[in-house]
Amino acid sequence: MNRSWTYILAALGIAVLIGIGLFSSRFILYLTMRVMILSIFAMGYNILFGRTGLLSFGHAAFYATGAYGVALCTIHVHSHPVLAVVAGVIAAAVMALIIGFFCVRHTEIYFAMLTLAFGMMVFSLMWNVRGITGGDDGLSGIIRAPISLGLISIPIMKDSQYYFFVLMFFVVSVLLIHRIGRSPFGLVLASIRENHVRTEFAGLPVKRYRLAAFVISGAFAGLAGGLAVFLESNVTPFAAHWSRSADPVLVSLMGGLQTFSGPLVGSVLFVVLRELIERFTHNWMLWFGLILLAIIMGFRGGIVGSTAALLKRSSEQG
Amino acid sequence: MVQSLVHVCLAGISAGMFIWLVASGLTLIFGVLRVLNFAHGSFYMLGAYLCYTFLRFAGVDFWLGVLLGPLVVCVVGYFMERFLLRHVYPLELPYQLLLTFAMVLIFDELVKMIWGAGSIGSPTVPGLSGSVSIAGRDFPVYNLFIIAVGPLVALGLWAMLEKMWWGRIIRAAASDREMAAAIGVKVPALYTGVFVFGAWLSALGGALAVPYVGLLTTGMGEAIIIEAFVVVVIGGLGSLKGAFLGALVIGLLTSFGTRFIPTLDMFLTFILMAAVLLWRPQGFFAES
Amino acid sequence: MDGQGMKRRDFIKAGLLTAAASALGPGVMKPVGLWAATPSIKGPVKVGYQAVLSGTLAGYGEFHKMGAVMAVEEINAAGGIAGQKIEMEIRDSTLAAPTAIQNVRYFVDSWGADLLAGVDSSGQALAVAPVMGQLDRVLMVTHAATEKLTEEEVFKKGVRQVFRICTPTYQDGNAAAFVAKDLPAMSWATINPKYEYGFTTWNMFKETLGKLKPGVQFTAESWAPFGTTDFRPHINTIMDAKPEGLYSVVWAGELITMMKQAKQAGLFEKIKHVMLPVGAAMDVLEGLGAEMPDNIWISGRYFFLYPDTPQNKDWVARFKKRWNHYPAYVSETAYSTMFAFKKAIEAAGSKETGPVIKALEGMELDGPAGKRVFRKEDHQAMYDVPWGLTVSSPNYPFKIMGKQIVIPAKEFFNRPPFEGDASKPPFKS
Repeated sequence: MNRSWTYILAALGIAVLIGIGLFSSRFILYLTMRVMILSIFAMGYNILFGRTGLLSFGHAAFYATGAYGVALCTIHVHSHPVLAVVAGVIAAAVMALIIGFFCVRHTEIYFAMLTLAFGMMVFSLMWNVRGITGGDDGLSGIIRAPISLGLISIPIMKDSQYYFFVLMFFVVSVLLIHRIGRSPFGLVLASIRENHVRTEFAGLPVKRYRLAAFVISGAFAGLAGGLAVFLESNVTPFAAHWSRSADPVLVSLMGGLQTFSGPLVGSVLFVVLRELIERFTHNWMLWFGLILLAIIMGFRGGIVGSTAALLKRSSEQG
Repeated sequence: MVQSLVHVCLAGISAGMFIWLVASGLTLIFGVLRVLNFAHGSFYMLGAYLCYTFLRFAGVDFWLGVLLGPLVVCVVGYFMERFLLRHVYPLELPYQLLLTFAMVLIFDELVKMIWGAGSIGSPTVPGLSGSVSIAGRDFPVYNLFIIAVGPLVALGLWAMLEKMWWGRIIRAAASDREMAAAIGVKVPALYTGVFVFGAWLSALGGALAVPYVGLLTTGMGEAIIIEAFVVVVIGGLGSLKGAFLGALVIGLLTSFGTRFIPTLDMFLTFILMAAVLLWRPQGFFAES
Repeated sequence: MDGQGMKRRDFIKAGLLTAAASALGPGVMKPVGLWAATPSIKGPVKVGYQAVLSGTLAGYGEFHKMGAVMAVEEINAAGGIAGQKIEMEIRDSTLAAPTAIQNVRYFVDSWGADLLAGVDSSGQALAVAPVMGQLDRVLMVTHAATEKLTEEEVFKKGVRQVFRICTPTYQDGNAAAFVAKDLPAMSWATINPKYEYGFTTWNMFKETLGKLKPGVQFTAESWAPFGTTDFRPHINTIMDAKPEGLYSVVWAGELITMMKQAKQAGLFEKIKHVMLPVGAAMDVLEGLGAEMPDNIWISGRYFFLYPDTPQNKDWVARFKKRWNHYPAYVSETAYSTMFAFKKAIEAAGSKETGPVIKALEGMELDGPAGKRVFRKEDHQAMYDVPWGLTVSSPNYPFKIMGKQIVIPAKEFFNRPPFEGDASKPPFKS
């Protein structure tokens, strides 16, 4: 796709999202916020997974760190939402730096298992430090205070107001992640994926690049977790559980790994499919599983990847 | 104090042997073939439910149930490998994860539809149901049986993989598919065979778990899957001896941890896992 | 700004309501009753119900469903609520807080529910409570037991939309202590779940028993993480401590596993007094069958042989006929919830949240479990559930409660204002 088309699509997407924010019902607002938050999580994750090929199985730890960061900051330090989100992102990035420092020594399956181990340690920690995290009950009743900007303050208490708060972070994240992909840094990551030995020979510190990607994706996970706290007004340690770490993996794979918009499409599918399936059956796991199977067997490389390939092929023929 | 230590050890060893039985199949599928099979827990669950069904409704005795249940799971494993997984091998590794995750959802729901959502208390095994007094405290006979079966399965597997010619072929094929194919090994069939055998082992673990855990639930597969992966990783991927000893260590760690440092529980397990991966990725017990 | 305007309007509305209510006092109840005769509610009464339908605890969801579906069938067959049919939709809560929130939002904002019910775990209940304030619909909690829900969320934070029809942790902790004080055991230990429910109940038990019976000792604690399948290490810890009594709120499948493994280790020969606050759950009694030892103290949120009234007996018989099962406690709470809704809506003459809350506050309800009163301050249903000793019976393929002790709820439920020693039992007269 050429440049102008990308711009037109992006503008269209933002227009639709603003339209949803202005005109749709509270439940659609809520679902769209869930989709945007999951997208931030998955697109950030894809900087690591899609770009460098490292399969992390512990990113829920950073999601949860961001979430607890926001919650604790709101409760104990200051209720300014932007400040809280920034605190959450920083906490997640620091956590990712510490864990990443150990994990990037390995690749492939060893990396995946190492991130799983660290992720579960964080989970166990959050479960057991009851005085701070509230144990399994978690922290609840986290209020969205107005964003004070000196003279004026913008309320985000209502869902229709908070929606634009999420939308703003979503757009900024998409732009940032897009830029990262096109930057020299992103190109180095891609070359690591193709052949890390050659990249190393080229004199680039591969591990340091991997760590940078790890921390950036961890920070986005923290942002997603933080936004989710304000949406749900609560956080529990389950946010750090390995089964939550699977979410961005599934979303990326469903949408398509190597594509920029794959995780986005995957997030929409993940949230909307589940919601739709539950409307006509209690056996949602069966149907969700079958649809997943169909996607894997039918659309190798995810929905976006295969659709793009199909379009390309048909345009070549035509 | 002696009584206490003896029983903490016994609990640890039997827990370890139980984990080993569950993880032994994963050592083959994940450790040797490097197939990221998340549905391993489902095989375990299916093995347990099928064994229970044969016991309860076909009126067969426990041993026949242990034999028949896992055989049915073999068929399930065959179809899953032959018609689904095989098509995903050429794709990147994570696609195996996605596929097997979808299978976990499907299997869980199917079990719920067939056997009902409620948990099922299992019957006792005649002949192995009592307890014997060891150091003045009762210990179940069935756990002694598990402690005995664990090493037997390990020995059998070791003999097959290390001593017999096809064990070597499996290893060769797993480490270099093209090379193995070039010397005339039917690699796809070999993969299917090993996968089915691995499925049988985990279903066997499930069948033997029926009296051990005393309970069948629709989520039982997810409860053990992470522990099984931990064992395979600690032992070093593909190392039978490592996985066996790794399971023993995890069992003892849990038992001693619960008794003497109770606040840490699973934290200990994952610290051990991370430590092994960081300093001895080839496995805790591998000769470097 | 829009948001501010809304807030002000809501505030005024709420103020007017409370002012009117306090001015008219109890007199306002009379016309409410009259309206009921000429129902003004339009359209069906829609109830959104959520319970866990997947994973290890999916059996509980099924039991919820049986009770709720049966109540809906009976109410509709008898003419509905004030002439309107009940419509119910059930969703899987998966025990996760975000799912519980998505469900209530779906029910209210998309499906158009008038009332909500269900919720299994304490974490979910605490997560959903603030959302109920925002969505402004009544939620009747039928299983989650955390005392924080009614003490903190309802009483202190003023989430008036939330009610609870099942017994809270007081039944598991405080009432157990009232029973334990008369047992000849001076040292107690616990194997409890390693999460808030376990910590809270053990603390309540210790505090209350400590006051009721000075000199009693608490010698060992072993905390079993969620999903424990091997209790032997925990059993060793307890047997090493050699207590005279064991207290455990381990529940559902895990309790079945624990009991079997404890029996294998000969624990019941060494420890004579065992208290299981949720041991009278049907899944546990049926799951253990004859393997449940005799003379174990058990209780629950309801037990199908109590109270010994024609109404309860009749209900149990109907339930058995409809589902071929004995009702579990969540079946009873789900069933009674629908009748509580019916009574409240008919009394209020409306299915709007405000009037329904008013009608529910202080309302008496006769159900299979006996008489309940929804305490006005914290919206907790006050009703009695017995503690009893397990015994075999020729009529049932599982152990039942033999000797029963009923401690009236008002004697051991914490009291508002939930601060200071006087709000916790034992109460000084």
